[in-house]
Amino acid sequence: MSETPLLQVSNLATYFHTRAGVVKAVDGVSFALKRGQVMGLVGESGSGKSITGFSIIGLIDAPGRVEPGSSVTLEGRELVGLSGAELRKIRGRQIAMVFQDPMMTLNPMLTIGTQIRLALEAHETVSGGEARRRAVAALAQVRIPDPEGKVDFYPHQFSGGMRQRVAIAIALLHRPRLIICDEPTTALDVSVQAEILSEMKELVAELGTSLIWISHDLAVVSALADHVCVMRHGKIVEAGPTLAVLTRPEHPYTRALLDALPSRAAPGTLLAGGIGADVAPPPRKPRAETTPVANATHYVVIDHVAKRFSQTPGLFRKLAQKAGLSRPPAAVQAVGGVTLELKRGEALGLVGESGSGKSTLGRIAAGIYAPDSGSVRIAGAPVMSSGGNPHKITTQVQTIFQDPFASLNPRMTVGDSIAEGPLAHGLVDRAGAKAYVAQWLAAVGLDPSFAVRYPHQFSGGQRQRVAIARALAMQPDVVVCDEPVASLDVSIQAQIINLLIRLRQELDLTLIFISHDLSVVRHLCDRVAIMYRGQIVESGPAGAIYDHPQHDYTKRLLAAVPVLPAPVTN
Amino acid sequence: MLGHVAVRLAQSLVVMLVMSALVFVGVYAIGNPIDVLIGPDVSQELRLQTIARYGLDQPLWQQYFTFLGRVLHGDFGRSFVFGIPVMDLILSRLPATLELTLAAVCGAALVGIPAGIYAGYRPNSLPARAIMTLSILGFSVPTFWIGLVLIMAFAVQLQWLPAGGRGETVSLFGVPWSFLTLDGLNHLLLPALNLSLFKLALMTRLARAGTREAMLSDTVKFARAAGLSEWTVLRRHVLRLIAIPLVTVFGLEFASTLAFAVVTETIFSWPGIGKLIIDSIQSLDRPVMVAYLMLVSFVFIAINFLVDLAYVGLDPRLRKGGAR
Repeated sequence: MSETPLLQVSNLATYFHTRAGVVKAVDGVSFALKRGQVMGLVGESGSGKSITGFSIIGLIDAPGRVEPGSSVTLEGRELVGLSGAELRKIRGRQIAMVFQDPMMTLNPMLTIGTQIRLALEAHETVSGGEARRRAVAALAQVRIPDPEGKVDFYPHQFSGGMRQRVAIAIALLHRPRLIICDEPTTALDVSVQAEILSEMKELVAELGTSLIWISHDLAVVSALADHVCVMRHGKIVEAGPTLAVLTRPEHPYTRALLDALPSRAAPGTLLAGGIGADVAPPPRKPRAETTPVANATHYVVIDHVAKRFSQTPGLFRKLAQKAGLSRPPAAVQAVGGVTLELKRGEALGLVGESGSGKSTLGRIAAGIYAPDSGSVRIAGAPVMSSGGNPHKITTQVQTIFQDPFASLNPRMTVGDSIAEGPLAHGLVDRAGAKAYVAQWLAAVGLDPSFAVRYPHQFSGGQRQRVAIARALAMQPDVVVCDEPVASLDVSIQAQIINLLIRLRQELDLTLIFISHDLSVVRHLCDRVAIMYRGQIVESGPAGAIYDHPQHDYTKRLLAAVPVLPAPVTN
Repeated sequence: MLGHVAVRLAQSLVVMLVMSALVFVGVYAIGNPIDVLIGPDVSQELRLQTIARYGLDQPLWQQYFTFLGRVLHGDFGRSFVFGIPVMDLILSRLPATLELTLAAVCGAALVGIPAGIYAGYRPNSLPARAIMTLSILGFSVPTFWIGLVLIMAFAVQLQWLPAGGRGETVSLFGVPWSFLTLDGLNHLLLPALNLSLFKLALMTRLARAGTREAMLSDTVKFARAAGLSEWTVLRRHVLRLIAIPLVTVFGLEFASTLAFAVVTETIFSWPGIGKLIIDSIQSLDRPVMVAYLMLVSFVFIAINFLVDLAYVGLDPRLRKGGAR
C-alpha cells in the first residue's frame, strides 16, 4: 500500500494509575484508517472502546495517561506527546468527536447559534454576522428544517434526533479529516437512529471524511462501517472487513457476541452465551382461594385506561387563574383509552418509541399510577382501590424497572431489599426470611451469600438479577418489565432474557414486557402491542405482526431496525 | 408573567400582614412600652395622659386595626422614642446598611466565585487547597471575633484604617452615601470585609462543588473536543452551568445581611438599620419594630422574586412557550 493512512494508531496504551493499582483501559491497540473510510469499533462496556477514542484526541484526564511507546499519527504527524495547546488546535479542526447523549453534550443554557459560534471561534476569528451565516449553513447541512429560525433555539427545544444533528453539525464545522462518534445513536429511537445513520452515510461520502463509529451494537455498525474492530479488555480481538467479521467470525468472543443477539435465535429459545444456573425457585405460599381457571382467557384486563399528567396549582395560583391573570399549564395525555387483555401465562410485548406512553401504561397496569379513567383487573379483582385516593391493593402484580441501580435502595443490603416486601405481606416470617432470600438469589443465578452485599457492589447484570429476585419474591402472577435489558450489554442482556424465559415457564408468570427493542420483544413475547402517542395502533401474535405489519407506523418501525447480515453456517 | 407577579404580590401582602400581627402580639406579651417610655417617678395623671396619647389604653385588637388603617394611608406611626415618623427613621438608616451589605455581598461574589471555580478546576493544586482551607476558617470563626481582630490589627496597631463610623458622606438623591468619598470608602472597608468573610467562604465552596461536577459533564467534554480553549470552557460553559445555586445564595445572603447585619454594625458603630432595631427592641419601641419587620419580610419576598426572575433569565428551560 503506497498511500499513507490518514490515521495510524500503533500500540496505543492508556492506563489509569489509581491508588488501588493500574487499570489498563486500553492495552496495545493498533489499527489504520484510510481517507473516507468508516471503521466500527465494537465492544461491551469496559472494553476500552471509548477511552481509545478519547486517547486519539488527547482528552484523557488524570489519573489516566497515554503510556510511552504509544503512537497516534494523523497524516504522518505524531499526536502522542504534543502539548495541550497543540492538541487543542487539532481538536475540532482535524479530528472532531460526537458523543452519546445529545441532551448532555449541548449546554442547556446557551442557544445553538452561540454554541456553534464558540466552536467556530475556537479555531478562527469570525464576525457575529459571519458566524450566524455559517451556523445556519451548518444546520442546513445536517438537514435541520428552517435553519434560519432554529439558530436561536435552545437545546431543549429540539427533539433528541435534532439535538444529535446539531452536535454533528458542530463536529463538521471545520471540515475535519476524522470524526469519532461515541455511541451517537444509542440514546435515540430506532426510527431516528435510522435517519441519522443514512444521513451520516451521505455526509461521509459527500465530504470524504473518515469516521470511527464506536458502538456496542453490531447491527448499527454493520449498516455503516467498511471495517470493524472488536474490542475486549482493552485489546482488539478481531479486525477485518465488516461483512467478513460478521458472517465468518474467527474469534470465539466475536462469535459469542453474535450468538447473544436475540435477532439471531429462534423466538422463545434460550440464547447461547447466557449461562443459566438451574436452581428451582422456592415453593409458593399456597393461596387460600385458588383463582378460577375459567377466566383464563381474560386473566389481565386493562379496560379503557386513560391518564393525563398535569400540574396541580397552589392556592394563590388557583386564585390567579380564576382572576384570569394566569393560564393553567398544559396537560399531557400520556395514555388515551387503551384496552388490552392477557391470557394467563401469556407474554405481551408493549412496543413504542419514547413518549408513546408505554411506560405509563405499564405503571398503571402495575398499580403504581392510578388511571384517570378505566380500570385494571387481574383475575377479576381490581389492582387499585376505588375512591378519591386510590392505592394498590394486590401483591399479584410486581414491576422490574429499567435501571436497577436507581430502583434498589443503596443503603440497604440486597437481602433486606428482597425480604422487605414478603415480610410486610406475611409471605414469609422473620425466622425464615434469610433462607427465603437465599433461595431466590439462587433462583436468579446469584450466589446466596451475596445477600449481605449492597447494590453498588454488583455489576449491572447482577443488579438486574437482584431486582428480578425482589419482584418475584412477592410471588406475583403478573410481572411488568419496564425495559429491563435496555441498559445492559448484549451478553448480559442474553443472560437476563434467558432467566426471564426460564422463570416464566417455571412460575407460570404472565408478563407485560415493555421495550423499544423489537428483536428482544420478538424473542420473548407471544403477542405484541404497538403503542403510538398513547394509543395501541396494532396488536396481535408476534409472528404475524413482524411478518405482516398492517399499520403504517408498525411498518416504519420495523423498517428502521438495522439488520445484521445472516450468518454463514459451515 | 403578569400572573406570576400578581401571585407573588398577593403572597407578600399575606406574609406582611401575618408578620405585623405576630410582632404586635409579641411586643404586647413582652411588656408595656409605657414603663420604658416614662420614669417610675412620674405622676399618675401624666402617666395616664401618655398612655392615652399613644393609644395604649385601647384593647390590643383595636390598637392593631387602628395601626392597619393608618398603614393603608402609608403612615406607620411615630417612634415612641424618637418621636419622628417611623418611615423617615428607617429610611434615614437604610442607605448605610444598604451600601455596607452591597459591598460585602458583591465583594464576596467577585472574589469567591473565581476562587471557587479555580479550586474546582484544579482541585489538587496547592492554591486550591489553600483556598479551601481558608474557606473553612471563614465558615467557622465567629464574626464578632474577626471584627475585633480587624480593628485591633488595622485600626489600633497599624492605624491604616478607621475603627468605626461612616466617615465623610456625600449626598446623592437626598441621601448620604459613604462610598463616594475616599474617607467614606476607608470607613467602609473593614466592616464590609468582616461581613463578607462568611459569604466569601460559602460562595467559594459552592462554586468549587459546581465546577468539579460541571468539569466532568459531557457538555464540557464536547466543548473541549470541539477545540475550545480551557478559558472559554470555564467562562462560557461552566459559569453558566453553575450559576443557579450561586444566584440563589447571593439573593438569600443579600436579604439576610440587609436585615441582620447587627453584630458588625455594632462593633464598627456603623449607623445602620441593624443598630436601630436592637435599640428599639431594648426600648420596646413597637412602631419601629413592626414597620422594620414588615419591611424585612417584604425585602425577602422581593429578593426571592428577583432570584426567580434571574433563574428564568439564566435557564431557558424555565421559560414558557418554546417550540415544543
